[in-house]
Amino acid sequence: MAAVETGRYHRTYESQLRLWHTRPQLIRIGVVAVIAIIVPFVFDNYWLSLANTALIASIGAIGLNVLVGYTGQISLGQGGFLAVGAFTSAILTDRMGVPAPLSILMAVATTAVIGVLFGLPALRLKGLYLAIATLASQVVILFIVRRWNFLTEGQGFVDVSRLEVFGFKIERSTFEQQWYIILIIVTVLVAITATNLFRTNIGRAFMAVRDQDIAASAMGVNLTRTKLTAFAVSNAYVGLAGALLAHYSEIISWEKFTMDVSILYLAMIIVGGLGSIAGSIYGALFMTFLPIAVRMFGEVIGGVVPQVQKQLPAVEHAAFGLVIIIFLIFEPRGLNRIWQRIKDFFGFWPFRY
Amino acid sequence: MKATKATMLLAGIAASALAVTGCGSSGGGESDEPIPIGVLADLSGATGDVGSVFNEGMLAYVDNLNANGGINDRQLEAMSNDYAYEIPKAEELYRKYVNDESVAIQGWGTGDTEALRTRVANDELPFMSGSFAEELTNPEESPFNFVVAATYSDQARIGMNWIAEDAGDKTAVAILHNDSPFGTAPVQDAKDWVKEKGLDIDVTSYAMPAGTTNYSGMLSQVDADGADYIMVQNVASPAAQLAKDLADSSGDQKIVCLNWCGNELFVTAAGEAAEGHMMVQPVAPLSADKPGHKEIVDYLEANGGDPKTTANSYVQGWYTMHAMAEGIRATLDSDKELTGANIREALETMGPIDTGGVFGLGEIEFSADSHRGSNSAGMYTVEDGKMVEVEGGLTP
Repeated sequence: MAAVETGRYHRTYESQLRLWHTRPQLIRIGVVAVIAIIVPFVFDNYWLSLANTALIASIGAIGLNVLVGYTGQISLGQGGFLAVGAFTSAILTDRMGVPAPLSILMAVATTAVIGVLFGLPALRLKGLYLAIATLASQVVILFIVRRWNFLTEGQGFVDVSRLEVFGFKIERSTFEQQWYIILIIVTVLVAITATNLFRTNIGRAFMAVRDQDIAASAMGVNLTRTKLTAFAVSNAYVGLAGALLAHYSEIISWEKFTMDVSILYLAMIIVGGLGSIAGSIYGALFMTFLPIAVRMFGEVIGGVVPQVQKQLPAVEHAAFGLVIIIFLIFEPRGLNRIWQRIKDFFGFWPFRY
Repeated sequence: MKATKATMLLAGIAASALAVTGCGSSGGGESDEPIPIGVLADLSGATGDVGSVFNEGMLAYVDNLNANGGINDRQLEAMSNDYAYEIPKAEELYRKYVNDESVAIQGWGTGDTEALRTRVANDELPFMSGSFAEELTNPEESPFNFVVAATYSDQARIGMNWIAEDAGDKTAVAILHNDSPFGTAPVQDAKDWVKEKGLDIDVTSYAMPAGTTNYSGMLSQVDADGADYIMVQNVASPAAQLAKDLADSSGDQKIVCLNWCGNELFVTAAGEAAEGHMMVQPVAPLSADKPGHKEIVDYLEANGGDPKTTANSYVQGWYTMHAMAEGIRATLDSDKELTGANIREALETMGPIDTGGVFGLGEIEFSADSHRGSNSAGMYTVEDGKMVEVEGGLTP
């Protein structure tokens, strides 16, 4: 057991730099990897499509967590930034014939730049005021998406052709399986880069700004640069999620990027755990599968209380609100903290701490 | 570095999994198993006022059909869920229906219909809905979408023709539309039509913001444009609000409602204010008493419904499901396997589907070149709180 160790001793720089140090950590990673590999063989297409949706949401949630959880800059503009990523990549691939991997990278860059632009108010604003300023970005971006006819050629939506990467085209019969493999690889890369980011001076500066910006500034952290970098990095991830969403769903319209989406993502990182990469993934999984669980619950008790099934979207909204309230009251640090407490419980057993 | 090693390992295993995966799902079924159809409904969302009635009509049709032996002794199993006009939710439900081996999908709005357009083409599932957007009629772009009645654009064209005739002289029309793809669908086509036909009409268009409780500001703008007619492409509740505000400001414009506000819900909600306004409606309301209405009236009376208060969205749901059911029947009759692709072929080749005078001129017919089931609609007016037919079977 990890906790029985008296400490972690590093004899080389290399060992100090490792992401995972202990045997249980490695075993856990192994178990997660095995589960991730089994999933496409066990899940049917429907459940796999949910898993794919959750993976895309994980990438977006990690992005949002970089900004909100790690840098303390609240953002209500998630939906808008997802839209930037989605529309950039869709238009580049579909209308200008840019290969998909390149267009996704360009979408990442574009979203990062636009994120910085809308991050400018963060230099002067904090807390609630910043929330309203980022809300403006959501409204402005969505307004542009809806009104600028160039984007959708006046149709209101953009068709995206099936993903093709270096001559390899996704097949219809194994659509979900192949997407799962792509998405799991991208999500793993995103999670690793994000985790490593917070082991660098840039990432530590983010956290210093979150904890006390004046102190950070006194220590020599350039607040302007740090905040804008945070917006850029965060929105780069969000742009990636948006671009993947566009290619995965093969059609996009503004209706997929409404205010509700921004709030859903905030809920993901609150439920998962603010300031935690693993928590972002837990939160994304949780919030994706919550409505399904509610519906199954509705089907089960539908015979006894038919109102639940009839008013399912209302019940879902209620469950959504309830979950957020419960987490804020009982575990504001989210699922990630719960997981840590479970580990500690067994690790320190029979002692409390 | 452990991290990279682990990543490489994972990527390697994942890549090998890529090569191994592959499982096809078989659609359809044999013998007397029920036929699953996925239904997306808006019961509680932005268009829930007419959406819930439409859905009731669809499910009533299925209920009635099953009680009378189903299709060739096979029951129709309609899996209906509320998606509250939230597009991601519709996509999620759609995937569930595909997984449950639905052979066809009944959608609802323009939002979900367009969002699923490429998906249904890929999955080869025929898709009908309450959305009559014009681009859905082109099989090259939307090979599995079927539009059962006159498109919004055709309705707007018919409306413009009627307005030109009614005004007799130069006039102006303001198109007020829902702020979504559903709302904007006919706007440009209506403007092009006026230009093409050389109608002496000035056309302006405005989006009706969602959730507005008062349209007087918009109406004064319309007034300033000098519009004599207001064409509304929206659902019943906002249109009724508009009619009330128009009456309050004693405006003399005439409202011309297209499909989704041209119904009894509009008449009831607007009350007095609805009197004298016009509707372009491809679906005959129960008050028009067409032969095709008899089955619905019988069903309603047997099940405690009231034909007098049932909106024509109910009729529309009923006959939209009828069109799909007839396609399925034709597929089974031709002894082909019941797959989406075969149902599509049956719909394209089976000839006209009879609606007893309810949809436009009475028949819906698709072909391999066009999924425009019909292009005719009737003009109705509101008289003493009822929809009264002015002229039936109009085409652009």
